[in-house]
Amino acid sequence: MSSGTIEIRGFLQLDAFIRKRYKCMPLILEIDAPISGIDLAKQLEIPLDEVEVIFINGFVHETGAMIHPGDRMAFLPPGCPGPYRIALGFYGKNQDSEANFKIKPKTDGEEDLS
Amino acid sequence: MEQFIRVDMTTQQVTSGPLPEKYVGLGGRALTSNFVNDEVKPTCHALGKNNKLIFAPGLLSGTSAPNSGRLSVGAKSPLTGTIKECNTGGLFSQKMAKMGIKAFVVEGKPADDKFYIIKIDMNGVSIEEAPESILGGCGNYEAIQILNEKYGAKVGIALAGPAGEHRLPSANISFKDPESNIRSAGRGGLGAVMGSKNVKAIIIDDAGAKPVPVADPEKFRAAAKIFARALLDHPVAGQGLAAYGTDVLVNILNEAGGLPAHNFTAGRIDYNDNFSGETMNALITERGGDGKVSHGCHPGCIIRCSQWYPDKKGKYITSGFEYETVWGLGADAGIKDFDAIAYIDRAMDDVGVDSIEIAVAVATAMEGGLIPWGDGEGVLQIVKDMAKPTPLARIIAGGCAIVGKLCGLYRVPVVKDQAIPAYDPRAVKGIGLTYATTPMGADHTAGYCISGNILKVGADIDPLKKDGQIEYARAMQIGTAAVDSTGMCLFVYFGIADNPGGYQALIDMINAQYGLELTAEDVDKLGESVLKVERDFNKRAGFTNAHDRLPEFMEYEPIEPHNVVWDFTPEEIDEVYNF
Repeated sequence: MSSGTIEIRGFLQLDAFIRKRYKCMPLILEIDAPISGIDLAKQLEIPLDEVEVIFINGFVHETGAMIHPGDRMAFLPPGCPGPYRIALGFYGKNQDSEANFKIKPKTDGEEDLS
Repeated sequence: MEQFIRVDMTTQQVTSGPLPEKYVGLGGRALTSNFVNDEVKPTCHALGKNNKLIFAPGLLSGTSAPNSGRLSVGAKSPLTGTIKECNTGGLFSQKMAKMGIKAFVVEGKPADDKFYIIKIDMNGVSIEEAPESILGGCGNYEAIQILNEKYGAKVGIALAGPAGEHRLPSANISFKDPESNIRSAGRGGLGAVMGSKNVKAIIIDDAGAKPVPVADPEKFRAAAKIFARALLDHPVAGQGLAAYGTDVLVNILNEAGGLPAHNFTAGRIDYNDNFSGETMNALITERGGDGKVSHGCHPGCIIRCSQWYPDKKGKYITSGFEYETVWGLGADAGIKDFDAIAYIDRAMDDVGVDSIEIAVAVATAMEGGLIPWGDGEGVLQIVKDMAKPTPLARIIAGGCAIVGKLCGLYRVPVVKDQAIPAYDPRAVKGIGLTYATTPMGADHTAGYCISGNILKVGADIDPLKKDGQIEYARAMQIGTAAVDSTGMCLFVYFGIADNPGGYQALIDMINAQYGLELTAEDVDKLGESVLKVERDFNKRAGFTNAHDRLPEFMEYEPIEPHNVVWDFTPEEIDEVYNF
């Protein structure tokens, strides 16, 4: 199995996270074997509940999809607005993601916002 | 009493009466589109005396429902020749609703060439000559200050900017927002319709108005609370829009290969970092001063996707700095400097033109050799010149279709002569079907909102494949037409798409306000009926299925990086409206 580099981007808050921690964007990382999006997130210390889907070479994938040397990938947190989460196919790929539409439970004494 | 007000600019007569029986139960887009279909001659000239301009708050506007301050404006469009509904934030909708005004119509056309101000308050409607100080090129920012001084800081204001005075096809109607900045009923040239009736401004003063009556206040409060929670709990509201605005889509569409660039010849750029939502957030935070990462376009907005973008010294440049504007000037026209884009956005608000139409027209003009690629300073001057307007400014403000014809181009990204926004149909096919078929001409907001049943289809959507896209585009347009009728911002979509309780809460609020028993099916039927009315107008105006097509170049020019073309057949496209 050949080794090589991958090109990593993060969007929304993960953009600032990668820039701050790795001082660059995109992050170029050497890998010696294919790696899943989940394992890559763990390696980079990106919380899994901050990744709804990943992009690999411009295609949307579930977080467990494999990234190969030479690939361009990006982590996308929940928060893409509009109908684009459906139009771009996130909806079909995020069902097993830890970040799949987390609705925060209401806490006691919360302000009435109505 | 629910009032229906007409101002005839031919005679300067005002008539006010109860809402006609046939419009009871309608609001927002449902009301404007039914009215235009009923009363506007479909074959009329959009700038002639037979066109009518109607303003209508949504069903929930003026209540405490979150995000319910949107206004619908309708007429025949001078840009597309179709029916048009434009939607805006600002102060107008809630004030109209509190005053019990269900709709306000401007019709006719004065014989003279004077410009007028229409003032609506609790004592009635008056018409007066517009002061010279707000005419002849006065920008919208200054005009709002002058009108605030004259009528009071709390009034709502709708303006035909300099572009509207000159009846330019991309002129919008500009609305004062809570801080006296500008929101826009942007697309389709309705500012030119307002200008054609010699109406420079409409002032609305709700001093003395009582709260909007609610049939069952307790039920309403309970539903509004659930609805607010559904919005705020959603990651899009909590993590996406409030922090990065709609401009967060730059990086996402770029990565997906659906960011149209260089006049729709590529789907990805390498300088997206220059003006991404993430960069916007960082710049606003770093510059401080007037800058605000998050801002609401109307009172009661809890999503707060707008922002105040400051210059390097922290001084306000523009607000409501949307993805589609940044995309058009940045990716499509190649202007790489974010501040240059911000100043152009401000200038477009100031002169009163649709920032999507102008940005796409600019990119087309660049391909046609009228403007150098990426020339931000040149574009800024052209936009400022729309206040005069110079011949080149007139051409660009004529819209993308006109620019394409004048430049002898075949690559002209329009549907029904309205510019295609920021999502390339070849790489995001569902949006392409909406662009092709919506009665409005290419409009991304025409397919923005869905009811729960689309989620079954949504799970199978691949943006590069046809499967499920017809059902997607149909459901999106039906849902959008319904939500546009409520006065709700379309961004409530997030809460109601992913949280079924949120959708039910929206319906419960309408039921509680009006004492109704509507079901989700009834709301879907409302959306379908609105689209059918709009299609009927267009058909009588001469539009056929053959107009529901994307520009031909998309069928034979693949877009990188996915190397895809637009491949829906006419028969498949026509299936979208088979309901």
